[in-house]
Amino acid sequence: MEERVYTCPYCAMAHNSTEALKSHVIAEHKTEPLPSPEGLIRLAINGQGYELTVEPHWTLYQVIHDKLGLTGSKMFCDRGACGSCTVIMDGRPILSCMTLAIECHGKSIETIEGIAEKKHPLIDAYVKHHCMQCGYCTPGFVVTAKALLDRNPKPTEEEIRQALAGNLCRCGTYPQHVTAVQEAAKKLPNS
Amino acid sequence: MALEIKDMPINPMERDQYEPERFNALGKRGIRRIDGYKKASGKAIYTRDITLPGMLYAKWLRSPYPNAKIITMDTSRAEALSGVRGVLRYDDPEVMGRRVIGTYGSTEDMLAGYCYFEGQQMGAVVAADTEEIANEALKLIKVEWEIRPFVLDGEEALKPGAPLARPEWFQDNLSADPPSPAPNVLNRGDVEKGFKEADRIIEFKARRRYHGGADAELLCGISRWEDDCLELWLHHQHPYEHKWTMHQYFGVPMNKVTAHAPYNGGMYGGWNWIPYSQIAQGVSAILARRTGRPVKWVFDRREDFVFGSMDAQVSYIKVGIKNDGLIIAIDMKSVFENTGNFAEEHFLENTRVPNIRALNLTGRVNKPPAIAIRCEQLPMCFAFTHVFNHVAAALNMDPTEVALKNDGAEGHGLEHLNQFKQDHGFPVRDSLKECIEKGKKAIGWDEKWHAPGAKKLPNGKLHGLGFIWDNEWDDNRGAGVAGVFIQQDGSINIVAFRADVGVNAETTYCQVVADELGARIEDVHFRHQEDVYLPAMTPDGSSNLTTNGYVMRKAARKAKQQLLEVATSIVNTIERDIPPAFPGIKPEDLDVGESQVFVKADPSSRKSIAEVVKDMHGSMGWGLDYAAIQGTTHAPVFAWAYHRQGRYGTEPGRHRLCRQIHFCEIEVDPETGEIDVKRVVNVNDVGKALSPEAVEGQQYGGTYMGVGRNVMEEYIWDPPTGVLLNGSLLDYKWATMLDLGPVDTIIVETGMGYGPYGTCGIGEDVATITTHLLQGAVYNATGKWVDDGPITPDKVLRALGKA
Repeated sequence: MEERVYTCPYCAMAHNSTEALKSHVIAEHKTEPLPSPEGLIRLAINGQGYELTVEPHWTLYQVIHDKLGLTGSKMFCDRGACGSCTVIMDGRPILSCMTLAIECHGKSIETIEGIAEKKHPLIDAYVKHHCMQCGYCTPGFVVTAKALLDRNPKPTEEEIRQALAGNLCRCGTYPQHVTAVQEAAKKLPNS
Repeated sequence: MALEIKDMPINPMERDQYEPERFNALGKRGIRRIDGYKKASGKAIYTRDITLPGMLYAKWLRSPYPNAKIITMDTSRAEALSGVRGVLRYDDPEVMGRRVIGTYGSTEDMLAGYCYFEGQQMGAVVAADTEEIANEALKLIKVEWEIRPFVLDGEEALKPGAPLARPEWFQDNLSADPPSPAPNVLNRGDVEKGFKEADRIIEFKARRRYHGGADAELLCGISRWEDDCLELWLHHQHPYEHKWTMHQYFGVPMNKVTAHAPYNGGMYGGWNWIPYSQIAQGVSAILARRTGRPVKWVFDRREDFVFGSMDAQVSYIKVGIKNDGLIIAIDMKSVFENTGNFAEEHFLENTRVPNIRALNLTGRVNKPPAIAIRCEQLPMCFAFTHVFNHVAAALNMDPTEVALKNDGAEGHGLEHLNQFKQDHGFPVRDSLKECIEKGKKAIGWDEKWHAPGAKKLPNGKLHGLGFIWDNEWDDNRGAGVAGVFIQQDGSINIVAFRADVGVNAETTYCQVVADELGARIEDVHFRHQEDVYLPAMTPDGSSNLTTNGYVMRKAARKAKQQLLEVATSIVNTIERDIPPAFPGIKPEDLDVGESQVFVKADPSSRKSIAEVVKDMHGSMGWGLDYAAIQGTTHAPVFAWAYHRQGRYGTEPGRHRLCRQIHFCEIEVDPETGEIDVKRVVNVNDVGKALSPEAVEGQQYGGTYMGVGRNVMEEYIWDPPTGVLLNGSLLDYKWATMLDLGPVDTIIVETGMGYGPYGTCGIGEDVATITTHLLQGAVYNATGKWVDDGPITPDKVLRALGKA
């Protein structure tokens, strides 16, 4: 079989396989060996890898909810006023309806589904203290509260209220959230 | 007494008692809510979340003018856009001139070629592969408009020469469309005589401005045809009603219409009562049939601002009072916008005020339709609160004393109510007094109460205390049907179809069935989202527990009877006869508890419900291992029941006996006009709290909704153009977590409610009453009246002479 030579387009160094050439380009030239298709993004959501092509105007909410079927993130105010679409991206709670999906390439994202699967104590505390009526905004509150507990495992009542102040609940369940977050904080493994 | 009441198996005139020794679940704390995990974990599915294979998205054209008519419309460019699968025009033969039924007995155009408020969905509907394409197509529609003059104010609308708000329908602006009252003067007693006997007469004008639903889940719905069967996914509180309306629209037999009622993002009535709430679904069904694809209609947030609350009103009120606090005459005229109600009703029903004259007029204006949004008794609470606050202030009396002085029913005092309680087996308890005593203590009323404008705090703010009271209500007549089915493994289902409105009602129904049947709460389940042809109940809004609680109880008791009969009978299966679980025992000698059937005389002789029913339906007599085999040989334990709850929760002559009160403590900043709500104390006589945590949820939630309306909620239109200016949740404000200080919830249980086990609903009361919570407190703080809701800082500053 004829031996092929794979030449680096940046420095002309020869390699004997495509894999070797790819590794070389990544290591030496700090770039992807092949151009990405336009709009291709890779995301880690709840620890799982996703790769998909997005339109430039799609929001992260559209991708998570409409395309990937993670319907726990909710469309409520539809423009950055209510917190119901909150997800945690690289440790920070963000509004997925105000974030363009195409800007999230390479990001690590946690949604309500991931928080529930890991049996975070917030879930049980929310059920126990009736922190929901219609329930539409509830996942957004849980995600915001989870982000709070991640950075501050022992929040005061005032810190909880401040952290959740950006989440709207039309049913007015607010006081019950504070109780639930405090209880969940006590049940965190490291507390 | 009316015949129908006498014939009802449950007489609402009599006390229905809670029996603590009989119940393990009802009235207990710590019962896990059946929707809790789903809602907290994001697993609960709402209509907005649903995508069907091949589904199209339908979007409406919206009117840019408050009062206009289409002269010509060109949809050709929209139709030609790639991805557009259908365009329905107002002049399409299927909809042109077609007026169809909506709710409240109203009719509406299927798809109007005109508009009567800015932002109205009308003219054309586009179905496309995506929402973006549908929106793009709408921009390509060219309309030539006839722009007409408009009117935005109810009083202006009723003046001669005012622009006609709905010229296609009415040649004047005075409305008596249900539920608005006819423009007739109501008279009780002799008001003029009352004023002559009065020691003092006060007069004032009060106003409440238009506010709205701003519900959680944006409005939407899905329609799909399969051959001649129509399937619907409904974000609506009246799912069953859609089967009737779709039958009316399309002639499709109701037995071929299937509805699904996924979870609902909070609606609080509102949209569900708007005539065209069901028409939106009808239009999507037309497009679904034409395209052969499922069609989901969707509104965005701006499009969602298409309805409001029916208490946009101006009231002119004159009150005659005695020096001891007795109100002896009220003369009241109210003018509403688009929809009105009987503002005087709470005085008529729940006070001893002998002389009342009232007139309610409703003016049609070029604003969205107005309807009950938690709830239609806002106008009554508005009038009630303003009168009591003004009377107490005029006499320089403690407002709690004025309330106690005037409490009663239908023009009679407390002695009349007490007699009624005694005659009908109720405890003779003074609900209002009990509530006031508890609430005063919680807020520190006696130490903190002061003369108006008399307490300036070290921080420079003005301290105010407020108190309001009202009666309990459950404003919606209703009827429900449900079944109780025992599965072969002994697990129990409630079988019925209803929309979830978030009040934990489904769990409480399970509690009723568990305790009445003798099952453990964890053995009862209610999956209510699927159409099983038993509507429990429609409409699904008010009167949840007070109607369905009776339904569940009746069904459970019947099922229990069947279970006991099975336990004492031979079960004939195909293969063999199975001897009775309790041979030689009569059904009446058995009872059920903890999901076990036992002999009353010897409770150690017991078998689980599962054991009793295991050889029934689905078995050939080979035991549970063969359960999947066909061979139904014995009818399953299944019982159904029906209950109708009276108009407004009670029947005529059944007085309301429970009282609801609220206290608040506020600080008013005299420099900015801002109000800090430092504390709210809710004291609700709920008769009996069957799910205490759910009751507290209503107390908290109602307070946030009410106080938010009181100080910030308002739709604002641009006067020159009639265009809504704050149609987003950034600009339309409601209360957030930081807007209120602590909210105390005190539950009083006098057992005098009209619902099962002596309960009564408060989910609507709290939000409706507290919509005026701060009005008296602002007066107490500043010594000035702001009788114009919402009480925004600019109005407070104006009252203080600073703006």
